[in-house]
Amino acid sequence: MKKSFSFPIIFMVVITAFFTFILAFLNYSTADKIAFNQELELNKKLLYIFDIESLSEEPEDIHQAFMDNIGSISFEGEDLYVYYGDNEQILGYAVPINGSGLWGSIEGYVGVSADYSKILGLEFISHSETPGLGGRISEDWYKEQFRGIDLTKTTDGNYIIYKPLAGGNVDAIAGATLTSKSVSKLLNEDLEEFMKKGVNK
Amino acid sequence: MKGDSPKKIFKMGLWEDNPVLVQIIGICSALAVTNLMLNSLIMGVGLIFVTALSSFTVSILRNYTPKHIRMMVQVLIIAAYVIIVDIFLKAYMPEMSKALGPYVGLIITNCIIMGRAEAYAQKNPPIPSFLDGVASGLGYTLVLLVIAFIRELLGFGTIFGIQVLGEWWTPWTIMIMPPAAFFILAVVIWITKTIQEKEKDNKKGQVANL
Repeated sequence: MKKSFSFPIIFMVVITAFFTFILAFLNYSTADKIAFNQELELNKKLLYIFDIESLSEEPEDIHQAFMDNIGSISFEGEDLYVYYGDNEQILGYAVPINGSGLWGSIEGYVGVSADYSKILGLEFISHSETPGLGGRISEDWYKEQFRGIDLTKTTDGNYIIYKPLAGGNVDAIAGATLTSKSVSKLLNEDLEEFMKKGVNK
Repeated sequence: MKGDSPKKIFKMGLWEDNPVLVQIIGICSALAVTNLMLNSLIMGVGLIFVTALSSFTVSILRNYTPKHIRMMVQVLIIAAYVIIVDIFLKAYMPEMSKALGPYVGLIITNCIIMGRAEAYAQKNPPIPSFLDGVASGLGYTLVLLVIAFIRELLGFGTIFGIQVLGEWWTPWTIMIMPPAAFFILAVVIWITKTIQEKEKDNKKGQVANL
């Protein structure tokens, strides 16, 4: 092949345009599907926090359960997801939590009962912890431990304490000390902030 | 120009020239994802897909690509396929996409893909290149699964998340931590090398006897 100056440039431009076009097309044609998946994911997670069963795992049933039980109210200029029981009575709040983990930020929600007395449930929306180690924070056995933790006994803002420390209420993850610590830190901080402000206090 | 026979390609990729065991490339991800078998399997399938198709594409374009910009072209092709995998997982297998997280993007940096593009696809026709990609990817996947099997079994007492060892089993926490990956990978390489050396000796012996 003869050495030319312009051919490599034209070749690169053409091939880049070609692949960019394919990717753009794929991205465009799946955008709705991905957005739908993400919304469904959020619905599922909020249902999990409040321990609400949907009729089945079908998208329609999950969406229906979400519409029936969960709504949002405006709180400090942002939407706050709340759990409505029968008669439009508020049973709990999904408090957004976020902070830094070991590798990146951890985001999620923690469900707090309407009388601020206990944790209803915990779920993470996104994190980038090591799969199999810190990533195990999104496994059920870890998250289930948080259900029903009493928030009234603590006065110094340490709601989550790992066993075997005094007053410990949750098991940390073996091999992921730093991630476990990050989770308890961000939970304690964000819970404390929410408890101080409160929605109707 | 005719390429190598599929049998030879697979023998090279899986055993004689196994990317992880013999060429010692793709080690970073082999160490990172092998604490659970499921993670290893998905990573392997993703890698097979990307290596096969990028080798195929590189091979089609090999006679038109100016030599001095070939690496740029290869990276572009690899990146495009990885993004396709990522979009596909997000749209149709959101659970998988979540489980793999950042590792999908990291397939781009796996040395095996570019290694095969440079070493094989650049010089061979599309179909053998495609097979070569599949073979190398399979070789990588199998090694990962072997390491993950040992680590998950001893570290969690499970295989693919299913409990196989009973309550009496005390999990070896070291197995799910990075150091264990180094030990086990080294032991696996050691065993392979020993077997391969023996095979070589045997062959030499046969030739001598003739």
